[in-house]
Amino acid sequence: MSDATLAAALAAERISAGYHRRTVLDDLSVGITRGTVTALVGPNGSGKSTLLKTLARLLQPHTGTVYLDGRAIARMPTATVARMLAVLPQGPTAPAGLTVAELVEQGRYPHAGPLRMLRRQDHIAISEALALTNTAQFADRPVDSLSGGERQRVWLALALAQATPILLLDEPTTFLDIGHQIEVLDLVRSLNRNHGKTIIMVLHDLNHAARYADRMIALRTGQIIADGPPVAVLTPTLVERVFGVRATVLIDPITGAPVCLPYGVVSQGEPAPC
Amino acid sequence: MNRRARVVLASGSLLLMVLVVLHLGVGSVSLTPGEVLRAVLDQADQPLHRQIVWDLRLPRAMIAIVAGALLGLAGALLQAIMRNPLAEPGLTGVSAGGVFFAVLWLTRGGTMAEPGRTLALVALAGGLAASGLVVLMARGPSGNTDPVRLVLAGVLVSSILSSATALVLLRNNQALGSILTWMIGSLNGRVWVHWEALWPWAAFALPVGLLCAGVANALQLGDPIAAGIGVPVERARLALLAIAALLAASAVAAVGAVGFVGLIGPHLTRRLVGDDARCVFPGSAVLTAVLLVGADVAAQIITLNPPFATTPYRAGLPVGAVTALLGAPFFLYLLRRSGS
Repeated sequence: MSDATLAAALAAERISAGYHRRTVLDDLSVGITRGTVTALVGPNGSGKSTLLKTLARLLQPHTGTVYLDGRAIARMPTATVARMLAVLPQGPTAPAGLTVAELVEQGRYPHAGPLRMLRRQDHIAISEALALTNTAQFADRPVDSLSGGERQRVWLALALAQATPILLLDEPTTFLDIGHQIEVLDLVRSLNRNHGKTIIMVLHDLNHAARYADRMIALRTGQIIADGPPVAVLTPTLVERVFGVRATVLIDPITGAPVCLPYGVVSQGEPAPC
Repeated sequence: MNRRARVVLASGSLLLMVLVVLHLGVGSVSLTPGEVLRAVLDQADQPLHRQIVWDLRLPRAMIAIVAGALLGLAGALLQAIMRNPLAEPGLTGVSAGGVFFAVLWLTRGGTMAEPGRTLALVALAGGLAASGLVVLMARGPSGNTDPVRLVLAGVLVSSILSSATALVLLRNNQALGSILTWMIGSLNGRVWVHWEALWPWAAFALPVGLLCAGVANALQLGDPIAAGIGVPVERARLALLAIAALLAASAVAAVGAVGFVGLIGPHLTRRLVGDDARCVFPGSAVLTAVLLVGADVAAQIITLNPPFATTPYRAGLPVGAVTALLGAPFFLYLLRRSGS
């Protein structure tokens, strides 16, 4: 184990991972620095979700090891991991009759004491999670009765109620309109800036990734193609290499983040530039 | 527990008590509620009343309550862990396995009447063995049991065991009559010896099942969320499945394969209290007990006043026939109402 792996909040060392016999990630290593926002980007099937799931121990790597605070995550009790790391997977569904309060309360599962009664710190964490995600007004409504955007915020509240230093989000803005997308991403940033949380998220939108992340990791066919601050990663060459799309990259005059404007697809016959 | 759940539990318990008094009063000697209460409190008007209530009807009523609670809790547990509203105790293979073992034992010289304890143990073993088989069959290539495969394996094992039961019965058709009521599920002739075979299992399985509500809540959010909040998903699902199988098998061992109540009881409960397992579990136990006791009252009334037959059902109408006859239309009604 390298010193970098020991120092990282979350690290993968030479992992290969996938589903059944199909390998999606191949011999990949990455370390996530404490207190940063990292965005995983890449085309469909590039392995970004697989990497997130493997880091969150939802998926066992075929080979290699994931380290949480320098300890092998697979050998830690899963409830201990759940007090350090929360994960919001893609497209979760709740039973139709569950209320928002009952759902968010589940985030306290790894903290529960004997008899699973809610204690004072649990109530505080739940109301904080509801307030942060602006969902307190729905507390007594069934999750089923909410709109897609409201529902996504409620699931985020569940993860926040876990009160963990590390938060992993798999496409947290999917199915949201642009206003709710920005709302969720602003919340994510404030969780990082004001609460010191380490955040790793899979994002589809390159411009969102560039604007909200300290570090972008671009994947293609299970390997890391580029890794660094957005200005270094989001370049025309890289967008073409990773996504097969020609694009202009400008600098947003307000935020200073690079902005990518795609204008065409690289045709099949052309050799991919390297 | 939310307010609706407390109201449902309180009124369900009250309704259960009323039904039990009715249940104790119904039979070839009909007793008024007042006579029943005096007999229960050992101040019967006639010695015969005390004898009827204490020796014949009380054990039957108590078995109905506990078997209903066991089936309801088993159904609620299964619906939560399989994330499937159609899950019911029969789906674990428990009913078919219990009946198959019981039928095998009965056709090989065992008796129905005495000792009730041995037959119950045989049925219990059969139920647990069948549910073990279901889990083994549901294991996928990576060794985990996802809910859909569990449901499929349950259906398969149940139908294989039911056919096996039919084959055994066809070769030994002299036993058919007595075994048929066992397959439908019946409370006829249940006395203290049957109660003694039932209560130790129930005293263990019911509290353990109720304590599983927290884990069940996590599992019904789906595997990724459950794993994310720190539930060892695979182990938890197997443990809950085993408890559901034990609950259902204890009930089947006592009353046979009573259908539908284990499906309808939890459904009705969730409609009233929502989907939080901590409310659904105790609610299902109480409301399913209400359904089974109510169905047995109906079965006995129909036995005494047969609507279509000129001769009464000599052996008594099995309660399982009533739960299926009344249960299926009621279920349809629920489905139609939820559609509008």
